[in-house]
Amino acid sequence: MIVLEADVRAATEEVADLRRRLAEAQAAHAEEIRRNQAFSRIATAIGAHQSLGETVQAVIDGGVELIGAQFGAFFYTVVDQTGENYMLYALAGAPPEAFAHFPMVRKTAVFAPTFDGVGVVRSDDITADPRYGKNAPFHGMPAGHLPVRSYLAAPVKTADGLVLGGLFFGHRDTGRFDARAETVIVGLAAQAAVAIEWNQAGEAGDRELTERRRAEERLKFALDSGRLGSWELDVETRAYDASDICRSNYGRGPDAAFGFDDLVATIHHGDRDRMLAAMDEAIRTGGDYDIEYRVVVPSGETRWVHARGRAAVRYQSDGDVRGGVRRMAGVSLDVTERKRAEERQRLLLNELNHRVKNTLVTVQSMAAQTLRAADDLEGFREAFEARLIALSQTHNLLTEQNWESASLREIVDAELEAFGGRERLDFDYARDLRLNPKATVAIGMAVHELATNAAKYGALSGAEGRVTISWTTEPASDTTPARLHLRWTESGGPPVTPPSRRGFGARLLEKGLAGELSGQVRLAYDQSGLVCAMTLPLAALEP
Amino acid sequence: MKTLAALKVLVVEDEALVSMLVEDMLGDLGCEVVGPAAEIEEALRLAGSAEIDAALLDVNLGGRPIFPVADALKARGVPFAFASGYGEAGLTEPHKGSAVLQKPFREADLRRVLEGLAAQVA
Repeated sequence: MIVLEADVRAATEEVADLRRRLAEAQAAHAEEIRRNQAFSRIATAIGAHQSLGETVQAVIDGGVELIGAQFGAFFYTVVDQTGENYMLYALAGAPPEAFAHFPMVRKTAVFAPTFDGVGVVRSDDITADPRYGKNAPFHGMPAGHLPVRSYLAAPVKTADGLVLGGLFFGHRDTGRFDARAETVIVGLAAQAAVAIEWNQAGEAGDRELTERRRAEERLKFALDSGRLGSWELDVETRAYDASDICRSNYGRGPDAAFGFDDLVATIHHGDRDRMLAAMDEAIRTGGDYDIEYRVVVPSGETRWVHARGRAAVRYQSDGDVRGGVRRMAGVSLDVTERKRAEERQRLLLNELNHRVKNTLVTVQSMAAQTLRAADDLEGFREAFEARLIALSQTHNLLTEQNWESASLREIVDAELEAFGGRERLDFDYARDLRLNPKATVAIGMAVHELATNAAKYGALSGAEGRVTISWTTEPASDTTPARLHLRWTESGGPPVTPPSRRGFGARLLEKGLAGELSGQVRLAYDQSGLVCAMTLPLAALEP
Repeated sequence: MKTLAALKVLVVEDEALVSMLVEDMLGDLGCEVVGPAAEIEEALRLAGSAEIDAALLDVNLGGRPIFPVADALKARGVPFAFASGYGEAGLTEPHKGSAVLQKPFREADLRRVLEGLAAQVA
């Protein structure tokens, strides 16, 4: 029985031992499951490509759970869009406020191996570590810091050795982190590094995409502001893609069909071959395409377009570009206004040239005829200068009015100003008239000749004479067009007689002026004074 | 071929001072002036029916181009020259290559142009 008792006791102890071992095995298994679940959660969090903050939080939460730490912190460096480095952190086992009032973590003797990526720091009691308390100003944990004795820290670095941050764990009791915990944390740090790299790569990609979108928006804004259309042509398939503004340059709406054939058909037939040749040349040589041509938009209006482009060249191995151009891209601009302005300028220059040349001939004529009538050089000079200035006066009046017209009264005033004696002039008319440039010059010169003659031989030569300038208009009748009757009447001067030879003035008035303005001019040498009666059709005078 | 003396020249010019100059020069050269016509209707009438050997045409007649007159003269076989401040640049396509007297001109220039025209007179 003793043996039996002993056997029973032994058996009982064995059962107890078995039970204990079973319980231990079960506990170990449960621990394994818990740890695996923790790893699984971390892996899931990393795999889910959440934000960096969320990923980092999952890592630190998992780490605390895996090694039974009281506190965990993950300090990591981020680079913002300006390239500035700064540090963020995630906490486990303590609220964020626990660190909020501390200055940012520094590379003290304790932290240095982690932030420098040297290796793991594991201590059963960090306050006993020789590296502890070496740095000002706190020489150890600042007041209010979480109580940490057991300490485990691992750098988080990429495969290339770039330190991204550090994982830090603590416990208020000593001796809590063993070698196994260290292994777990090193593994976790590696996973965290991968997660952060993933995240940064994704963010960089996002940033690049955002930047590219912004650049595209800026480009579109610039194109739109400058009314620049953009286009692209597939050289092989002739597929043509044009922006809305580009389409509008060719008179097409955003929804209208507008392919390469439509483009070519829209170009003015006179410019089409030149355009196609320029495009072929650019495609053949890989050079620039730069051309201005006319387009006939669907409304029938002809407009001008400036198109520029460049062939996208794909060089072949032998360096030949032939056949290497796949597509062309470029811009188009409606330059109709500029072209019209250039045309106006060209016309203005021609007109100016015409006027200058005409004036030179007029001066040439005045010089030649003054010379014919002059008795001597001094007489020539006096008469010629006076005529030149008379001509210039009419030009002044016309220039003031954009060379469109001048007032009859102003023309007469301007020409008589040189002769003085304004109080000896009488005007009699109901309504002033505006005269076209040709009539302005002709009548201005005529008045000048009349006044010169009056000052030399007529009413303005003595002290008593007067001149009356009068005009009336006569409406059109069945037999005559609407006419101006302009009359120059001298009185009170010496008796006048017809000159023995007809001078320049008389010729200009009776023949020149009458012919030029399609009217009649009659000079009457009355006893009382010279009378010049002009009858001129208004059609030849009006602007 | 005729000599300049007694050559009957139609002058179309709308500016009195200029036509006076041309008349004087033609007179010096011994030519007989027909006109001058200052407006297109008168010029057309003379170009179509007057007795003339040659013509001198101002290109721009009060803003109206002279070319219908040139066409009428061509139809009659009357040689003519344009007088223009533009030179040949002022001529429209069918008339490019016609004789042109560039304004302003010397009497010698007018003589040379007229001699060219006189050479075409049968």
